[in-house]
Amino acid sequence: MLKLEHISKTYGNKNEKAVDDVSFEVHPGEIFGFVGPNGAGKTTTIKMIVSLLAPNSGKITINGIDNQKDILGAKKQFSYVPDTPELFEKIKGIEYLKFMADVFQVPIAERRERIEKYLDIFEIKNAVNDPIGSFSHGMKQKLALVGALIHDPQVFILDEPMVGLDPKASFELKKIMRDHCARGRSVFFSTHVLDVAEKICDRIAIIKKGKIIEVGTMAEIREKAGSQESLENIFLELTE
Amino acid sequence: MKEIISLTRLFINESLGVSLFFYNQKYNKKAFYKQLFTLIIVPVALIPAFFMYVSVMTATYIGLSMINQSTVFLSIGYILATVLIIVFGVMYILSEFYFSDNMEELIPLPISQRKLIVAKFFSILVFEYIFAGLIFIPILIIYGVGQGMGPLYVLLSVFVFLTIPVLPLSLVTGVIMLIMQSASLKGRKDMLQIVFVFLGIAVIFGVQIWFTSQLGNGDEVDFQLLMNMMLTSNEGFLNVIGYVMPTSFLMAWALNKITLMSVVWVGALLAITFLSGALMVAIGERVYIKSIVSGKMIKKGKQLNSAQRSKALGKKSHRAMAVFTMDLRLLLRTPVYFFNNVSVVIIAPLCVLLSFYFIEIPPEDLQGMQDFFREMPILINYLLIAFFIFFGGTSATTATTFSREGKASWLTRMIPVTASDQIVGRTGVALLIQSLGIVFTIIAIQFFFPLALSTLVLTVILGIMGSLPILLFGLFMDMNRPLLNWDNPQKAIKNNMNVVITLFVGMAYTGLLVGVCGLLGYFVNPFLGYGLFMLISFGISIVFYKVISNRLEVEFLNFES
Ligand SMILES: Nc1ncnc2c1ncn2[C@@H]1O[C@H](COP(=O)(O)OP(=O)(O)O)[C@@H](O)[C@H]1O
Ligand SMILES: [Mg+2]
Repeated sequence: MLKLEHISKTYGNKNEKAVDDVSFEVHPGEIFGFVGPNGAGKTTTIKMIVSLLAPNSGKITINGIDNQKDILGAKKQFSYVPDTPELFEKIKGIEYLKFMADVFQVPIAERRERIEKYLDIFEIKNAVNDPIGSFSHGMKQKLALVGALIHDPQVFILDEPMVGLDPKASFELKKIMRDHCARGRSVFFSTHVLDVAEKICDRIAIIKKGKIIEVGTMAEIREKAGSQESLENIFLELTE
Repeated sequence: MKEIISLTRLFINESLGVSLFFYNQKYNKKAFYKQLFTLIIVPVALIPAFFMYVSVMTATYIGLSMINQSTVFLSIGYILATVLIIVFGVMYILSEFYFSDNMEELIPLPISQRKLIVAKFFSILVFEYIFAGLIFIPILIIYGVGQGMGPLYVLLSVFVFLTIPVLPLSLVTGVIMLIMQSASLKGRKDMLQIVFVFLGIAVIFGVQIWFTSQLGNGDEVDFQLLMNMMLTSNEGFLNVIGYVMPTSFLMAWALNKITLMSVVWVGALLAITFLSGALMVAIGERVYIKSIVSGKMIKKGKQLNSAQRSKALGKKSHRAMAVFTMDLRLLLRTPVYFFNNVSVVIIAPLCVLLSFYFIEIPPEDLQGMQDFFREMPILINYLLIAFFIFFGGTSATTATTFSREGKASWLTRMIPVTASDQIVGRTGVALLIQSLGIVFTIIAIQFFFPLALSTLVLTVILGIMGSLPILLFGLFMDMNRPLLNWDNPQKAIKNNMNVVITLFVGMAYTGLLVGVCGLLGYFVNPFLGYGLFMLISFGISIVFYKVISNRLEVEFLNFES
């Protein structure tokens, strides 16, 4: 569903790779966690997947489409919620949602149904006619989530999704992720909070200083580390 | 005083981005060289214009001395400087006092309102002194040298120069503060506030000019009379100017001939200037902070029920339409954007209307002009075309279209919208604004100078076609070097070189195109001229369209690096 092959990226400083030869694959029906400490290269990797940055080398395919050969085709396969959703402050919530529905060409009946459903789940129905500038950080994040779910994407990509959300919303989001995968689609998200990854991910990749150091199910990673420790301890050991 | 100075430095630093400049020097060489380049190239580009100005002014002085009118010279310079300071000052004042975000952090600090206001005012003054210096110092020097003035003239000129920007700026600031206060009290939306400011200023100027024309010598001040007065009597022209700008009397009395009284007049000028500053501060203390605080509140919409939400989600629109709507909303709802890109379509036709109205061309002259037009349709047509292109070309709407989105531009780059939909949507917004300008201008002209339908159709079509290459050039520039990393929307425009580049390139291009096609039309065949015009506009537009649609998706990947 989502496949990265030998992806590398350097910012200004040529000696230091922000992302270094990263490869992994997310299968259909899978929740895939991308775990690593701050500054490990998670956001950079995600930006290359969602066509906000060009990799220096390597290949990314989304639902079989190479995102450097067919940028537009690849963009139709996913939706993306960044870590701090910067949205147009002067635009009303509902106008933003209509915009998203239009650019993804979601049919009328479906857009109405999905928006009603997710506005209810995230409890922002009453704010939806206000300018986004009046939203709190968490509300913006919720609106971005609703906007990303309008077109029921093949791959749902989220950067640190749990950070700004209240407990109820993050519970609901996890449920949405599971529903999404139950329908054969995939979820790919990054986190530095290990509990989250341990509880809901089918598989994870651990990234450290731009390099992937482990990929697999929780059990596989435990086995490799040869211990029954919690992921927390393994993670600390691995990323030391 | 120390506090005021450090606040002033803070404001200047903020509006120029000095800190960012030095930060970039250390950490982001590429951005640093871009800024450095700008810093060098803009003044260099302006040097020829400055020399032209100085030589025109020298010629004016010589011309005036030949008809024994040299005393008018300083007054002309004074009025010129004052008018320009007001025109550009309105912009500075609005952005420093009302569009900058720094007040949110400063209001909670224990700094007196007066100091904040004075410091903001000073930070504007610094730029205006540079501006006034470029305009007025050459005038003072030309006159001083021409008249062989001594050291007292130099000393007094320095004082006069110091007063120049303060008086008009403090009056305009006071007026703007009052207008913004009443606008924000009534809970107006952002855009309406700006319209309000313009209307207010227009009304004040209108009343002023009307008052002057009433004061005139009993009968109407018409242009002919004005010319006659200027050529026959020394004081006549000065009086006319004086009514508009009373302080120009003081200046003229002080500097035209240096006597002991000169010192007194300069003293009076200083006193009036100081009073106007104090008046502005007093007004500011009453209304400024209050209106800032109430203006920062975002007005919430009413809650929608399910049916209303369904309706708001509307019918399915085309992607180009979605881009168009979003771009237009951002433009109309963000005051700085509205001010920079949209207001010109209201101001320019208003100027046309006002100048026609106040110049009051006598009927026989109007008849003469119309006859002239009948003989020289080409000249008028191209004039109109150039004016119409002006709306499209100079508002630089497309040149900041991505920059205006700032940090939220990730959305634009992430969504699956084709390059051609992006181009159509964004250029469409610029075309809409331009069309509004054209319509308003036609209405304004139609009152005084009825144009034939065929003329209108021809000039509107050519005007829009002629501006298309400039619009697409602007889009091309913004695609290649968008300014996204701003914290305050005014930087997306004020610090954006794309605006300046598009403006210069657009004006040069328009001049060339209109010139060549106009000459061809006049000397060879009108239709050949219009044909060439269409061909060139169409050709260049196609080229830019192709280039942008091939590059846009890839350039989106480079926006962040
Ligand atoms: N725009 C940028 N310019 C230069 N370096 C950057 C930029 N963005 C991120 N980096 C660097 O790249 C590395 C990875 O950052 P990031 O991908 O944001 O990490 P994470 O999301 O895992 O916390 C860090 O060392 C960071 O400093
Ligand atoms: Mg990150």
